[in-house]
Amino acid sequence: MDHKPRQQTPETTDGYCQTQIEVTHGFGLHARPSVTFTRLARSFPCTVEIEVNDSGVWLSGKSIVKIMGARIRTGSILKIRARGLRASEAIAALKALVERDFDEEKKHGRSA
Amino acid sequence: MAEALEITGTCASPGVAVGRAHVAAETAVGVVPPNDSVATEREKLQQAIMAAVAELQALAERSDEESTGILDFQIEMLLDPALAEMTEERMAAGDGAALAWVEALDRYIAGIEESADEQLRARAIDVVDIRNRVLRALTGRPADDFPPGSVFVGKDLEPSLFLAHDWTAGGGIVLFNGSVSSHVAMLARARSIPMVVATGGFEIQDGERILVEAADARVVVAPDEGRVREANRTAPSMYSADSEPMTATSRTADGIAIRLSAIVNDAAELALIDPALFSGVGLMRTEFLMTSPAEALDEERHYEIYRQALRWAGGAPVTIRMLDLGGDKPLPGVGGKTGESSMGLRGIRFLLARPELARIQARALLRAAARGTLDVLLPMVTVPDELEAMRAIFEAESDALIRRGVEVHMPEIGVMVEVPAAALMLDRFSRSAFFSFGTNDLAQYLMAAAREDQTVATLYDAAAPAVLRLIVQGVAAAEAMNRPIGICGEMASEPRHLPGLLAAGLRHFSVVPNRIADVRSVIAGLRSDGRAQKG
Repeated sequence: MDHKPRQQTPETTDGYCQTQIEVTHGFGLHARPSVTFTRLARSFPCTVEIEVNDSGVWLSGKSIVKIMGARIRTGSILKIRARGLRASEAIAALKALVERDFDEEKKHGRSA
Repeated sequence: MAEALEITGTCASPGVAVGRAHVAAETAVGVVPPNDSVATEREKLQQAIMAAVAELQALAERSDEESTGILDFQIEMLLDPALAEMTEERMAAGDGAALAWVEALDRYIAGIEESADEQLRARAIDVVDIRNRVLRALTGRPADDFPPGSVFVGKDLEPSLFLAHDWTAGGGIVLFNGSVSSHVAMLARARSIPMVVATGGFEIQDGERILVEAADARVVVAPDEGRVREANRTAPSMYSADSEPMTATSRTADGIAIRLSAIVNDAAELALIDPALFSGVGLMRTEFLMTSPAEALDEERHYEIYRQALRWAGGAPVTIRMLDLGGDKPLPGVGGKTGESSMGLRGIRFLLARPELARIQARALLRAAARGTLDVLLPMVTVPDELEAMRAIFEAESDALIRRGVEVHMPEIGVMVEVPAAALMLDRFSRSAFFSFGTNDLAQYLMAAAREDQTVATLYDAAAPAVLRLIVQGVAAAEAMNRPIGICGEMASEPRHLPGLLAAGLRHFSVVPNRIADVRSVIAGLRSDGRAQKG
């Protein structure tokens, strides 16, 4: 699978780059997805925040504690927003990671 | 040869001990700072977290890929500053690191467990594991343990230090201050450790030989050999041979069955007591089982101890008293300030003020109750609302455990009768499954005489008639309500009080283990109305 983020045009509001995506792989399915997500988020110099199912609460996407606490599950609608240096790149990379089901299947060698 | 110096004090626990003196440093005498600063607590927590991370990293190095995934997750969680931030607020409000940590993590874990996603709920256990690992790292050995076999000499001795010490090699205790009614004196009597209190300050070098003749309330510094031999020769054996073999059932002279249960202060005592001599445990004090806040907050540690007591008792009932902290029993980092009033925030008041602590213990009790006959006794209950509030905690925790698929059983919850207002109003406690008189505290509250204060010790001793009058009333109220009632205060271990207690109608006594033979033989010589058998 392509590891380079696919170029998409994230929405930009209030200086945020923002995107929305449905989670097809439960975050909770394995501890690893949240590790992968936060590690990727932390690799960018911008802020990264997430909101789950229009809760109105934005949590740090770099905090595994916050992400676990957000109780994301399969079918959850995840909004990701970022602001600062390389914000659009971060959004694209994180969205792609969610779309790839956090690279879980590949790691377990169960790819179809 | 240096001349022997002889000092007299008050006997707190009889027996003879000879050994090298361990002179407690002045600064180490019962002075845990009442509240460590927030910065200190924060530092302690950071160190514990880093220790936990190091453990997990070492574990990850020798694990397969699947396990490494979980360990990585746990390490990432611990390294996330959000965890420490969650505890920050509570530490700022005055909680110690351990309590703040457990409270924050428990709330977080409960959040994960509420998830609709089963897979996510399953992650809760990994966070529980993190919680416990850091808690264990916060467990400090109580400072200043002393060499086995030595005689502790100092102003005072903390119960936690007593319990952490290995007494199997013998030894004794000499306190400049102290009181025969203190908790450490109670512990010493239960373990047959010779102890003399209220000697006043005296000169002694660390490591100097010292002889304790506790029954005579005498302490000899640098005794000569002859004196030591003499003391050892005349000391009566603690376990004098009994004429009759003892069994668990005890009867008065007129054939009324009296239930004798054990008082247990420390799980280690169980190994030294023959379960065949008791009908179970009438009072297990849990606050002495926990020598550090981290232990008090460790549900698994509680559970293990309760299981141990249930195993010891076989099928017999085990009554566990919930943590009785505060007043003269502070637990640094969890609460209860040293020197706080014995009429302040303690016992059930303290537990209800710190419901997280109560919930941890309730969970362990609910789980253990599924494994045997376990009853729960609530300390220092004053009004029925307190019992109701604690029952609500047990019910909520029971529901939560059942949802998690944990096997639980709702124990019988009873009230310890030690506050005069409660003793007078037992009929109002209709939801109490049973009652047990705690006469140590009842006496101190009735007489307004603090039991740790040597200057009012005579008042404390004179409390018996007033206590007995309350017991008579209480027994009548309990009988009218059809509720079992017993006594678990030290009064029940005193032969001179047994006639009065029998006359009051009590039929269940919880006794300090090393007094069981005396109590049994005195009861056998009394009629159930307390009068001596004729002829």
